[in-house]
Amino acid sequence: MAFPLPRGIMPPEISFLAEMEMVTILPRQRLEGLELLGGPVEPLIPPRRASLPLWLALLLKRQRRANILPPSWLHPESLSFILDIETQYEEYKDTFSPPPPLPGQPLLHDRGEPAVATPRYTPDGERYYPAPPFLPQNVARDHVPPQELQTLPFHWLEVGNMLLDAASDDLVDPDQTRRLLKELREVRMAKIRSGVDALDAAAMGGGGVALTGVGAIELGEGRRFISGVVDGLRRIGASREQARREELAEEMANGGYDATQDDDDEMEF
Amino acid sequence: MDIDDILASVDRHDPTTPESTALDHQLLTRFWVAERGVSELLPWPGPLMDRMMDRVRRQIETIEDLAATSADPLPSTSTTTNLQTTTTNTNTTINLTLSILQTDLSRTQYTLRSLLRQRLSKLTKHSMHYLLRISPPTTQQTQSQSQTAEHDLRPEDSIPTVGQEAPHPPLSAPEVRFLVAHQHLLAKHYGDAFLGSFPPQLRRLDDNAGGTSMVQGPEVREVVFVRCLVEEVRVVVPPGDGVEEEVVGGTAMRMGDVWAVRWEGVRDAWRRGEVEVL
Repeated sequence: MAFPLPRGIMPPEISFLAEMEMVTILPRQRLEGLELLGGPVEPLIPPRRASLPLWLALLLKRQRRANILPPSWLHPESLSFILDIETQYEEYKDTFSPPPPLPGQPLLHDRGEPAVATPRYTPDGERYYPAPPFLPQNVARDHVPPQELQTLPFHWLEVGNMLLDAASDDLVDPDQTRRLLKELREVRMAKIRSGVDALDAAAMGGGGVALTGVGAIELGEGRRFISGVVDGLRRIGASREQARREELAEEMANGGYDATQDDDDEMEF
Repeated sequence: MDIDDILASVDRHDPTTPESTALDHQLLTRFWVAERGVSELLPWPGPLMDRMMDRVRRQIETIEDLAATSADPLPSTSTTTNLQTTTTNTNTTINLTLSILQTDLSRTQYTLRSLLRQRLSKLTKHSMHYLLRISPPTTQQTQSQSQTAEHDLRPEDSIPTVGQEAPHPPLSAPEVRFLVAHQHLLAKHYGDAFLGSFPPQLRRLDDNAGGTSMVQGPEVREVVFVRCLVEEVRVVVPPGDGVEEEVVGGTAMRMGDVWAVRWEGVRDAWRRGEVEVL
């Protein structure tokens, strides 16, 4: 057996990905800049803040060589605000609170603006759009736009729990934070479970189900169940779908279904 | 090809810069997650993997050099206590640097190993499917014709011949060699175990008598979770079942959305880098 794990990344692998999120630290000792395989690390000079991958920040924190500045969303105030959105607002009754915007994506309150995705280019000349865990969604910032305060990043639960485990003395009110994270998790778990009715749409060709705002670990937990249900529904509906497509093929063979459609209709009547 | 692509070809990154290292790391991570999430084998990212393997090799050398300097006693051993404290200080710094470098190396090696093993697992699961897919169709036909005449047919004879030196998309050259060797062993084993006692015409591994092929491929209609990275991506229904054209479905994903959709519906968007698999 070359590989024992099932399809789709598993919770330990999701934690591994979450450890690539950048966080802000306050170093307690000097360290030269390093060239890592995951990218360069800036030199650490004590009173100056630095952004490091979470795994490295945790390594330094465990050896008491640095303090971690918690991300702005990991604060009892922000968390209870998000919890309010998740529970009180009618429009978010079945959906998750909105995620932080990707670069170029307009903030929620002005949806009228068009989204503009600007790609970077890979050395092979392909387009690349950065996404979590490679966006600065967990760094501490002094000036956060108020709309971004109220969003949970993709790896919220993993980052939150890892910081609570290893750096609880750096957090504001860790007990309250822990309680709020747990409540958020339960509220959102219930939403995933109640969303089963909508899964039928993903079983049809060309259809899909939106899970926008879902967290990585929540997706990891729901993955087996959701894909199991959708694949089951697809198998049940396979013959119906095939019949529909054959009908469509016949329609297209009888003179297309776009421009010439009107003429056909006229002939029939 | 639009103006952006032309600019990109001029503005190629130098693979030795730190920014390029960070970008390749992100690309590898994204590809690993996609390979883990999708049922079929994805195209082998040859240039990216070459760059990564080269960097891993160089990083190991750096670590070995650094470990050698920290193990070496400094040339001036007969010194005052003042100098000795500075020596221990540099030693702890070197040890810290070493442990950081080694952790980083292990993380990258884990990603690479997991990616390669996942690909091997997909190859062994649907070995005959991928062999038929990479084999040139013309030789396959003549081969099967010449062999049906033979009386003493072995299961190995149904394995298509594939040139083993060049990579055949979506496989890399070592994967092609592995796949051919694996399938020959398997066919020989089947032949010795039970197929040898069957009538010759039932010994083939790619039998499609009765209109059903016994070569099974991966299910591309399985659902995957994707995030839309551009303004809009439409879920498509690829040609099949008598429909020749690609039908654009009614659902459109907007930027930042996470969807559960069929893999075949977003495969082309993934190739263009417009969605990422989660």
